Amino acid sequence: MPLIINKVCDDGTTSSPITMEEGKALIESLIKVVACYRHLASCVGGCTDNLHLRCELQQTRERAHKLAVACRHHLTARLRDKTLPPEERQEMERLWVAFTSSLELLHVDMCKVLNMGSNFSLVNTSALVKTGIQGETREVAARALSLADLNRAEDPVPGSLEDLEQGQLKEEIVRVDQMLEDMEEKVNVPRWMVEARGPQYADPASMDSTSLGLYSMDEEASVQHEQRCERSQVFVILALCGVILVAAVLSVCVIYFS
Amino acid sequence: MTIRNVRDHGQRFRPRMTCLKKVEAVILEMQDPKTGVKSQPQRLVITTIPHAITGEDIVAWLANRYSIQTEEACTLGRMLVAFGYIYPLQDHKRLIIKPDASLYRFQTPYFWPAQQWPVEDTDYAIYLAKRNIRKKGILEMYEQEQYNSLHKWMNHKWDFIVMQAKEQYRAGKERKKPDRVVFDCQERAYWVVHRPPVRSTRTHVHARTCTHARKRTHIGSCVFLVKYSITYNKHDPFLAPCLPSNPWLTDDVTYWMLNMTNVEIPTKMRVERWTFSFGELLADPRGRADFTLFLKKEFSGENLAFWEACEDLKWGTAATMNEKAQQIYKTFLARGAPRWINIDGKTMEVTVKGLKHPHRYVLDAAQTHIFMLMKKDSYGRYLKSPVFKETQKRAIDPEQHSVTQLEANAKKRRPSLSPIIVRQQEEEERARMATSGPVDITQVMSKLSNKGKEVPPPKK
Repeated sequence: MPLIINKVCDDGTTSSPITMEEGKALIESLIKVVACYRHLASCVGGCTDNLHLRCELQQTRERAHKLAVACRHHLTARLRDKTLPPEERQEMERLWVAFTSSLELLHVDMCKVLNMGSNFSLVNTSALVKTGIQGETREVAARALSLADLNRAEDPVPGSLEDLEQGQLKEEIVRVDQMLEDMEEKVNVPRWMVEARGPQYADPASMDSTSLGLYSMDEEASVQHEQRCERSQVFVILALCGVILVAAVLSVCVIYFS
Repeated sequence: MTIRNVRDHGQRFRPRMTCLKKVEAVILEMQDPKTGVKSQPQRLVITTIPHAITGEDIVAWLANRYSIQTEEACTLGRMLVAFGYIYPLQDHKRLIIKPDASLYRFQTPYFWPAQQWPVEDTDYAIYLAKRNIRKKGILEMYEQEQYNSLHKWMNHKWDFIVMQAKEQYRAGKERKKPDRVVFDCQERAYWVVHRPPVRSTRTHVHARTCTHARKRTHIGSCVFLVKYSITYNKHDPFLAPCLPSNPWLTDDVTYWMLNMTNVEIPTKMRVERWTFSFGELLADPRGRADFTLFLKKEFSGENLAFWEACEDLKWGTAATMNEKAQQIYKTFLARGAPRWINIDGKTMEVTVKGLKHPHRYVLDAAQTHIFMLMKKDSYGRYLKSPVFKETQKRAIDPEQHSVTQLEANAKKRRPSLSPIIVRQQEEEERARMATSGPVDITQVMSKLSNKGKEVPPPKK
């Protein structure tokens, strides 16, 4: 799946048609990146705030931006197509709601990071709040970028990077703003009319599986859950029987040999 | 739709919550590794998490730093916790500071309260979904209710919310276990501050007494409202059509002509309205005229005359008030007055005393008394009287205009009476009534007895 996404991102043009599944996968990736960004942003200003974190934030943002541009092209192209059948249109509208909601979350997080970054300078490390966090966020950033592990560049100079980063962040915020406004103008989707098809509660047992579609997750999850339940029950019964057998054999042996 | 780019109305320059900036300064001082509150590690079952501070240390530090008493330091500490800058590790739902060995921790700046970013319901929904995943479907009562209500009104975003919650949960799993615990505590503390849990027992009892009291008044007002609606249903200008037709729509003024103030024959609807209440009867000038006629026949017109005079005093100009009050006293209230009204001794005493320094509402008590008298006594008789029955019989019920009728009307249209002329006519009428003088009962009786003998006095 990562390969497909990279190919789409590299294209960036509206001419290459993206299939429905690829579009869905794009949105899911965007949601994943926004979730990871939130985790990273919660560490800004805390005692683990350092240049690496800021770098990770920047890389995550870039990735989110690429995904957002690709999603936007896909969705606007599809939604402006008048010949779209109604079920597909409904699905596209759902994806559109998910897309704009993720962008809005990202926008708020970026604004917060900008504000906190300007308040907490990395030069003065004693001013960073002791929040109790100890570890690093490499794995989270790696998850966002869909890489096995991050390879760290050499440590850049603190002061200059920060200013540069703040400036870049401002520009990126403006870009996301622009994107949201463009989307609102070009595509007319009344959000309140969209009906969610997913379940009300996220099924906790299905959290171990890695790739889930937007619609089929409930059925898959419930089936897997049931299978696992049955299997586990069978195992427990077998184990109990085994224990009883062993105990019986041992007692018989004891009686015979004593 | 979440609103971005909110115009902040100059809050940048004079923010409402300036205290937040000051509290942040205090917090930054407090967490300084050298001069701040000394921290200790919190030992959990498997892990150890650093940077926990005790309540007594916080209070002592505040008292020392700002040279204040312990109670004030406690209050300040409680404020810090209530805002959400410090959160308790044990008993996380109660946002107070306990000056003992109970542990607290600093909140991460991401979760600090900020005025420019309002707390979003979307975030709360995502948090609840995540909590649901973590607790495997066992949410607290108030959380469950909130979850359901959010699901109802944010339904269009629900797929996104569930997906985002899952992704955040999975991203959290990538972090180390102690960090995950700390992040969960931070988020939980944030939402305890911004979506406080409803305290079940205390509010339950309170709510019950509140709803009882509210129910009683509710039922009373409901019954009244229902009765009112049933009575006035056909007379409502929106719900019932205008008979014969709405002049604004069809350009035909029959409706206005039929409902003029001193029309000879009123409409059936108008007459029906008079039966609803005495107030309605008096409010309608045609009804009042009819009632006056009835009272004249019964020789008890002084009550209504007094009531009208009181209204005149209440709504008249201030310059003429004194004069009017004196006139009324001479005509209605003084002993041996020509149109003496029968009110009880106490009201008479109060009124006469008030008339020494008359003002607009000096006759209010007497007026109310007379009103109730008329309502209980004369009104009932009026409704059964031949005068009213005659009026009812003669009342017309106009039919709804048909289209052809409207076209015919359009052809016959003539300009109506100018309101100036109508006003002049009314004034002439009033002058005639005034000059015919207050009907003195003795005069009327003498007139009746001398019916055939005298020539009737010439009318001016």
